[in-house]
Amino acid sequence: MSSFAEHSTDYAVVESEPPEQLGRNLNTAGHLLASATAFFFLAFVFAYFYLRALNNAGLWRPRHVNPSLTLGTLAIVAVVASAVLIRLGLMDHRAGRRRQWRLKGWLALGLAGVAVALQIAEWATQGFGPADGGYASVYLGWTGLYAVFLLAVIYWIETLLATATRYRKIESGAPPAGHASGDSHRTGHDIHDPLSLVRPSLEALSFYWAFLAGIGVLTWFILYIL
Amino acid sequence: MAAAAPSTRAARDPSHGRRLIGAWILLSVILTPIVVWLAGKVIPPGNKTHQASEQVFDNQWIVAVSTPVALLMIAFFLYTLIVFRARDGELRDGPPIRGDARIQITWIVITSAAVLTLAVFGTYELLQNGAGGGQGPDPVAVPSGSKLPVQVIGQQWEFTYRYPTYGGLETPHLVLPADRQIELHVTSLDAIHSFWAYELGVKADANPGVDNVAYVKLKSPTTFHIHCAELCGLWHGYMFDTGKVVSQSDFAAWIKQQQAQFQPVSQYLPRYARSYYPDPQRRAG
Amino acid sequence: MSANAAVPTPPRRRVVGYNLLTGLVLGVVGYYVGWWIGHHIHATSIGYFADTNQNDIAVFLGYFLSVVGFLAGLGFLSYPWARVRGYPPSLREKETAGVARYFGLCTDHKVVGIQYLIGIGVFFFIGGLNAMLIRFELLRPGGQAFPAGNYLTLVGLHGTMMMGIMSSAILGPFANYVVPLMIGARRMAFPRIEALTFWLLMAAGTLLATTIFFGGFPTGWTGYEPLNDQANSGMDSYIVFFGLVGISMLLLGLNMIATIVTMRAPGLTWSRLPIFCWGVISTASLMLLASPVLIAALLMATLDRTAQTSFFIPSAGGSTYLYQNLFWVFGHPEVYILALPGFAVVLELLPVFARKPLWGYRLAVAGMLGVTLLSWLVWQHHLFVSGINGDLRPFYMLSTELISIPTGFTFLCGMMTLWRGRIRYTVPMLFCLAWFFNFLIGGLSGVFLSDVPSDVTTHGSFFSMAHFHYTIMGGLVFTFFAAIYYWIPKMTGFQLNDRLGKIHFWTMFIAFNSTFAPLFAIGFMGQPRRVVTYPSHLQFLNDWVSVSAFVLGASMLVFLANFVWSLVFARVPAPRNPWGSRSLEWQLPSPVPVHNFDKIPVFTDDPYGYGDDDGRVPAVVPVGAPAGGGS
Ligand SMILES: [Cu+2]
Ligand SMILES: [Cu+2]
Repeated sequence: MSSFAEHSTDYAVVESEPPEQLGRNLNTAGHLLASATAFFFLAFVFAYFYLRALNNAGLWRPRHVNPSLTLGTLAIVAVVASAVLIRLGLMDHRAGRRRQWRLKGWLALGLAGVAVALQIAEWATQGFGPADGGYASVYLGWTGLYAVFLLAVIYWIETLLATATRYRKIESGAPPAGHASGDSHRTGHDIHDPLSLVRPSLEALSFYWAFLAGIGVLTWFILYIL
Repeated sequence: MAAAAPSTRAARDPSHGRRLIGAWILLSVILTPIVVWLAGKVIPPGNKTHQASEQVFDNQWIVAVSTPVALLMIAFFLYTLIVFRARDGELRDGPPIRGDARIQITWIVITSAAVLTLAVFGTYELLQNGAGGGQGPDPVAVPSGSKLPVQVIGQQWEFTYRYPTYGGLETPHLVLPADRQIELHVTSLDAIHSFWAYELGVKADANPGVDNVAYVKLKSPTTFHIHCAELCGLWHGYMFDTGKVVSQSDFAAWIKQQQAQFQPVSQYLPRYARSYYPDPQRRAG
Repeated sequence: MSANAAVPTPPRRRVVGYNLLTGLVLGVVGYYVGWWIGHHIHATSIGYFADTNQNDIAVFLGYFLSVVGFLAGLGFLSYPWARVRGYPPSLREKETAGVARYFGLCTDHKVVGIQYLIGIGVFFFIGGLNAMLIRFELLRPGGQAFPAGNYLTLVGLHGTMMMGIMSSAILGPFANYVVPLMIGARRMAFPRIEALTFWLLMAAGTLLATTIFFGGFPTGWTGYEPLNDQANSGMDSYIVFFGLVGISMLLLGLNMIATIVTMRAPGLTWSRLPIFCWGVISTASLMLLASPVLIAALLMATLDRTAQTSFFIPSAGGSTYLYQNLFWVFGHPEVYILALPGFAVVLELLPVFARKPLWGYRLAVAGMLGVTLLSWLVWQHHLFVSGINGDLRPFYMLSTELISIPTGFTFLCGMMTLWRGRIRYTVPMLFCLAWFFNFLIGGLSGVFLSDVPSDVTTHGSFFSMAHFHYTIMGGLVFTFFAAIYYWIPKMTGFQLNDRLGKIHFWTMFIAFNSTFAPLFAIGFMGQPRRVVTYPSHLQFLNDWVSVSAFVLGASMLVFLANFVWSLVFARVPAPRNPWGSRSLEWQLPSPVPVHNFDKIPVFTDDPYGYGDDDGRVPAVVPVGAPAGGGS
């Protein structure tokens, strides 16, 4: 088996990857991830309308199954505000206003956390449980899994802020070729400018977070308003 | 696309295509009627009911369309794999042909026509009277005339039958009168089952909380096999039975006998309904 | 190179190296931690979490933490943890050389490809062994070898293992290995995710096998509700398995699409893309979009089983149809996730062995994309007699039959590529030609199932079982072997034995047809699927099938012998381009160097220019490929 592996690489002859590769990859992945997310929640949209139309055993929505509109609305407002802040932060980042972007970023992170907290508060205070019919099932499954997606976005925002904050003192130049490509073991150098990792990821995040907030608004409309 | 290389001119002999098409047409003309006739004889479920004969007729149509397709493939591959094999050990390329719009268009037209023929004919047969399949609570293909309603209740792991026009009698045996139009109402009390009366050409899933309607027009007295055709748990493989089609007078006598036999338990049955919601059989936790 | 090379990489403090062993240890530890927590919740929480003696919460938590522990032990958590602390990724972790790379997290796409091949091979053999046991049981009409519950578990394990693991059978090993080489890239777009998809799949397969400790599961691969909800804890293994497979497929699809969209070398326009890559894109898009629906459905089932929601319980406001709808919205695209890679392999290999350009490139692409699109519109053909939307059945009948049109494109392109070619009967070519035969039968039998009146009898019978084995085993597994015989010389640098390969092919081809063709008749004669007993007049046919199946199993042993003998003992070095292919991967040395290309190549044409140079064998070495090397 050893001959599978024994290829030493002379990095001197290996050409570097184009610097914009990371951004292109993340941008594409953000869109693909958004489409997969849409299909995931479509299953819940379908479940909602399907069970509602069937109303089996008359147990679609007993009278007491009525989640708090106030808490739900507040949570979704926090989500939308957080997404808007990330978008504004991206514009700051593009314009080179690094401090403002970090400020908006931390605020957005906090708001996303608030949204999750409000959602948890709502589950804790509502007067019904998961066993209370079709609507209760869809409501708890849908909001619960949406909250899981919120946690994933919180992680994403946090990693960007952590890098941006940790290296805030460093002057970031144009990203060098072959940079941050996930490829450095083949191109021979490590990542020298961590700050240059932030922008491509922020671009992708801004799109995905806006998309997820859109799904959140749809969730809110279907679960609370319809 | 590109001009033929001199070395491949022999292989571009245009009679290849004509030979193949000729052989195919000849084979199709001879074999298709034979295969269709055979299919009518061999393909189940037979002709014990109108629905069963319809399915056989439908299958004959499918065979009629598929046989030429299969023959084209067989002829093509036999011809191509023999005639165009690499004959010498030397590695040489074939002619650089990259496509032919006429062939593509012809192919698309022919396959589309075949597909549409099948879909149209299948739809026509389906809408006649449902072809024996379960149609759900609001059937679209309803045969005319009076029908005898019979409810089929799947439960782990047997079918029972209720006759709403005979006082909601429930029995573990399925007996049906000959020469009648039957309206089957299939439902379940637990998992999903599928009521498959093989020789009758009937199959309808039994879902809890659902009334799945299927029609069958019976002919003369006979017996038929019943299987559960949807995996329903541990003893799914043992969920089979035999049903009977009997003359009208025998049927009336049988009903009387059953009513008498099940009189003691009938009072404990729930009222006849299109579906039943027993307590959820849940064990999760 | 950088403007400021001052930032140090974070110090690496690693006590024990990450590898498969640490992964397994932490996986087991994670399971017991989850189990303990689950029982703690069980003992203390509110009523509806604690109504029976079987604690599904503990099992689910155990499985979840087991997977987390396994991934942590493999080193998958060091990246997110570094990012949380704001450090840039350090990519040194896969610098390790030697055999050890194959037993851990490695982001070299070539290593992942070989890992996939071995890993999938192991589970394929386990799934096949289940099939052997099923056929052993069916040697006699009455139940004989296994109790009914164990038999159903075997049926479920076989179906679930094959559907779940084999979904990645081409994309996992071969697309991961050759797509970057075909498009002139050094890596996949997301190498860490690439490795993750593999290890998730391995975790999934292992956890599915543990169902036997929880009493197995009775539902088959479809997991229909409400049987699913009734079943004991063995069902949780099924749910966790398919959930992990779903995540793995989703990420695999995402990575494949992103790679082909963003990493193509200059000059590789969409109309020059190798047809294999088009097949990969089609499959990957189905993986990306269908898996989320599966995952959502399984999460609903999980909630039903643990938190007592009632998505699928009709008497509590749910619906069994909801599961059937969601499952088949995933399930039908899944069928094409299994079939499309077969199309791709066949169309990629035919030009090489017919020595002609791919005929009708655009039509072939349109065919695969058409199948991809239409596969979303047909799911209720699995529910023709279920009583669901009876009035929509003509639509689903039509849409299902329409799929034959784009599938026909593939057939036409393949056949016309052979026409007037100079066909060489190598082992991979034989498997490709068998694909035509098998898929033809699979397709024609599919017409019976797509036609509602005919489906009334064939649905849920051995007929439909025979049909999908012709499309999946005949369509996917045959091309899986074609791909193995074709690409193994590139992947390992060694040749597979030709004579053994031919013996393997002919025994497999004959035994396959002898196994599954009679099943059409058995189905037509009234034997339902997944039964442990059958009418005694069907015994002769069933015995015939069982014996053929054993021969089919034996043919796999021929392959295994060939594989081990050729790669471990004989080790005959393969030439750089043994098939005379014009595709880029064959212009590289065998095996391919770690960095693939010294310089990124520039494409000037598609890889199908056979016959353009006056019939001479090509010697294309695109700009940028490493010079020399190989043998
Ligand atoms: Cu059953
Ligand atoms: Cu399907």
